[in-house]
Amino acid sequence: MPREASDLLHGTLDVLVLKTLSWGAMHGYAIVEWIEQRCSGDLVIVDAALYKALHRLEDAGAIESEWGVSENNRKAKYYSLTARGRAQLRAETATWRRYANAVGRILETS
Amino acid sequence: MMRMPPGVRRIFRLPDSRERLTRELDEEVRFHVEMRVARLIAQGVPYEDARAEALRRFGDVDDLRDYCKHIEDAHMQRARTRERFGTVLQDSRFALRQFRKSPGFALVASLTLALGIGGTTAIFSVVNGVLLRPLPFDHSEQIVELFGIDSKSHPMLNFADRTVDFVADQNRSLSAIAEYNFGGMSVSSGSDAFRVTGSAVSKGFFDVLKIRPAAGRFFMPEEQQLGAPMSVVISHGVWTRQFGKSPSVIGSKLVSGRTIATIVGVMPEGREYPAGTDLWYPREIFEKNTGYTAHNWKVIARVKEGLTVTQASSDVSALLRRLHADVGEATWTFDGMAVSLRDQMVGDIKPLLLRILAASMLLLLIACTNVANLLVARMAVRENEIAVRLSIGAGRARLAQQLLIETSFLSAAGCIFGLLLATLGMRVLLALRPALIPRVDELRLDWRVGVFAMTVAAATAIGLGLLAAWRAARGDLRAALSQSQRTQGGGGASYRIRGTLVVAQLAMTVVLLIGAGLLGRSFLQLMTLDTGFRTHGVVVAALGLESPRDERVAQRTQYFDEIARRAHAIPGVTDVGFSNAEPFNAGSSNGTFVVLSGTNVKLTPQDLMPLFNDKAHAGYANYQMVSGSYFKAMGIPLLSGRLIDDNDREGAPEVALINAALARKQFPNENPIGKAIEFGNIDGDLTPLTVVGVVGDTREQELAADPPATIYVSFRQRPGNDNGSYVVMSTSAEASAIATARQTFRQVRADVPMRFQTIEDIVGRSVASQRFMLFVVGVFGAVALLVAALGVYSVISYLVAQRGREISIRVALGARAVDIVRLVVRQGVQLVVIGVIVGGFAALFATRLLTGLLYGTKPTDPVTFAGMVLTLALVAVIASYLPARRASKAEPMDVLRGG
Repeated sequence: MPREASDLLHGTLDVLVLKTLSWGAMHGYAIVEWIEQRCSGDLVIVDAALYKALHRLEDAGAIESEWGVSENNRKAKYYSLTARGRAQLRAETATWRRYANAVGRILETS
Repeated sequence: MMRMPPGVRRIFRLPDSRERLTRELDEEVRFHVEMRVARLIAQGVPYEDARAEALRRFGDVDDLRDYCKHIEDAHMQRARTRERFGTVLQDSRFALRQFRKSPGFALVASLTLALGIGGTTAIFSVVNGVLLRPLPFDHSEQIVELFGIDSKSHPMLNFADRTVDFVADQNRSLSAIAEYNFGGMSVSSGSDAFRVTGSAVSKGFFDVLKIRPAAGRFFMPEEQQLGAPMSVVISHGVWTRQFGKSPSVIGSKLVSGRTIATIVGVMPEGREYPAGTDLWYPREIFEKNTGYTAHNWKVIARVKEGLTVTQASSDVSALLRRLHADVGEATWTFDGMAVSLRDQMVGDIKPLLLRILAASMLLLLIACTNVANLLVARMAVRENEIAVRLSIGAGRARLAQQLLIETSFLSAAGCIFGLLLATLGMRVLLALRPALIPRVDELRLDWRVGVFAMTVAAATAIGLGLLAAWRAARGDLRAALSQSQRTQGGGGASYRIRGTLVVAQLAMTVVLLIGAGLLGRSFLQLMTLDTGFRTHGVVVAALGLESPRDERVAQRTQYFDEIARRAHAIPGVTDVGFSNAEPFNAGSSNGTFVVLSGTNVKLTPQDLMPLFNDKAHAGYANYQMVSGSYFKAMGIPLLSGRLIDDNDREGAPEVALINAALARKQFPNENPIGKAIEFGNIDGDLTPLTVVGVVGDTREQELAADPPATIYVSFRQRPGNDNGSYVVMSTSAEASAIATARQTFRQVRADVPMRFQTIEDIVGRSVASQRFMLFVVGVFGAVALLVAALGVYSVISYLVAQRGREISIRVALGARAVDIVRLVVRQGVQLVVIGVIVGGFAALFATRLLTGLLYGTKPTDPVTFAGMVLTLALVAVIASYLPARRASKAEPMDVLRGG
């Protein structure tokens, strides 16, 4: 059963967005597609939540935006990682791994 | 989206960020939805369904919009704060750069402010310590002093034992009440004899104050019994000075005359009440007086929690009126009241301090005017810079901010210097007159003083900053830019403002100077008053001979005769007299006396009451026991009859001398010599006294007060009721007489502590408040005069600089130096004339504040007014002459080329 990203732990969406953008600048729709492809549809992202995350991250200085032209020649806003965003991604990836390991270990011992 | 720094956006008039945000967000959402629709259509979904699905997948757009707006608002807010902070930093750096460029201005301005702030703060710290800080007792606002009111509605009557007991029993508003009395005592601990102030205190005294002993304990009930051995509590000061703070002091003995007292406790530091007390002992060990008229006791009480001083006062008043209704003539107390102890302690000094505070505020205003003047001058010089700033788009608010920051720096520096000055000033004040100010030991710079100084500094900064901004903002840009090509500094408007400021400053200075002048003149009047006794060349030795309760008259006489013999042997000493009261101290006591029909009358205490009420034969006078040589030593003339002599001794008919004031009042048309008089209950001896002589009047205690009626009796005949013993020596060499007497008097009896004073010391003490006020206002006046002179000097210098070209042309055309000087000085004189006229009129009102402090000088004394106005005018003319002379000496060609 696919789960909505809003159900996920707080901050998960942010780290997913950062990870996605580490591959290069993308517009919002491309980010959604990219995440959904990676997890083969196990996570469904509410678009509005994604844009909230994007604006939140931009305000925090983790990403920046620029208007550009999309692959189908439309005007689109492209987001890319800043140096601070890259650092944040590294830190949060490490945290996330530790967290997942810890939860995993507990669940597997029973 | 690239975010612009907010300042840039404003400069380029970019649209509001919220509007743009909404537009861009909508565009982003539209793109996203269209992408998804296109994808769904590619998967074969019909357009309508694809669109519905895409919108559903997107979620709540309004919520997203709100969320983003919220983020954007917070962002802008932060940016604005950052920008403001940035400009403050920038302006601060600019201000410091300005001050570095003209350090003279910065230094003069901040030092001038320091004078004002420092003076005001020093005075405020005294006001704070004395008037504002609560007394150092628990819930001290509940402590009151009680007073009786007599038939003449004269308040401040002390209580009799019975009256205190009555109030203690019957009141419903006091949780504790105690009577106390104090006086000098000589005590010795082993080898060391010293003079102390001892207070007899009744049960409840320590409950009223709510204090705990610093060591030991207070009195036990068995120590508060009639005839119990004396136990004493010593002050922290005595503990420290005499016993080195040793804890073993508890239980040790003190000897006072024939009394041996045991120390049971130590009073906590700084809680001595009544102030100056060194030791406390239980009042109950001595017999109580059973009458309602022995007004010997002061009374303090603690008002019950929840009740006010006013309620307690009406309770006490009702009680004493009831007592009078019940016992009638047996009491002279008709009414009573309770007064907050703090008001009672500081009541006398309060008006004095508030007036001095007002004078210091005036000084602060004068200092501010001077700095304002300097600022306006700088604004004129900086008109060019300011015009440029305004023309390139600096807002007036930003300009005001920048000027405010400059004045804040000045006033902050002024505040720091001022606090230093205040600390110094307070030391000087304390060194000057500690006895005058109650609670002087508690004075310190505390947070209230700090807050006060900072408030004054902040108000100064804002006031000056706004003034500078107002000056800067009203400048005409184009005029300023074009004018500054020709002259250094602004035009006539600036001179008018500076002129007005100088006039205001001169006016205020005149007020301060006239105030100081009036005080000085009044002080001179006081000091040149005829006191009725010699005010130079008299040494007064206070001998701590223990209480006459313990000393027989004969023994004391013998001691004095021996002292007198040794005093006469001191080179330079001419006359030696004895008295039981310090000279200039209104006798040893005072009371009602009666005129008797003859010297053979045998009086009993019961006879007295009807005699007291017979106004024709009763009067009120000071009482003093002396030797006949006292009058010679003091230089008090004998007007008629004879003086007391050595034959007026125990066993001989008892004699008295009266002073002229008493003779005039009591015996206006008859010869007082031979009259028989007697005091009621002043010393327990009711033997009639025969008046044998009339001596000259002497002023007592207050120079300004008329000489009081006085009766002198022979110390060889009367036992006395007081424990004072004073030897008065007239001498041509005071210092050496004191040194020798200190040596030789000790040889008579080593266990008698001694203190030597000159008559100048004693009289000087009585004018302490006048001297204090004169000193402070005098210093303020002198500082104001200096500051005003600086103000005149700077404004005339500025004028000279401004008119440099004109002056040079005049010189080039043949004007003589003296013409130039006259031209410039005339401008100064104009300012001075207006300033002193305005100030003189203001002083007519302001000096009314001094009415109570002046003696023999009207607040409108024309001599003082004229003298001070002339002084200021002279100083101001000199201050304008200096730049004038400089101008007349300048080489015209230099000025013209340089301009």
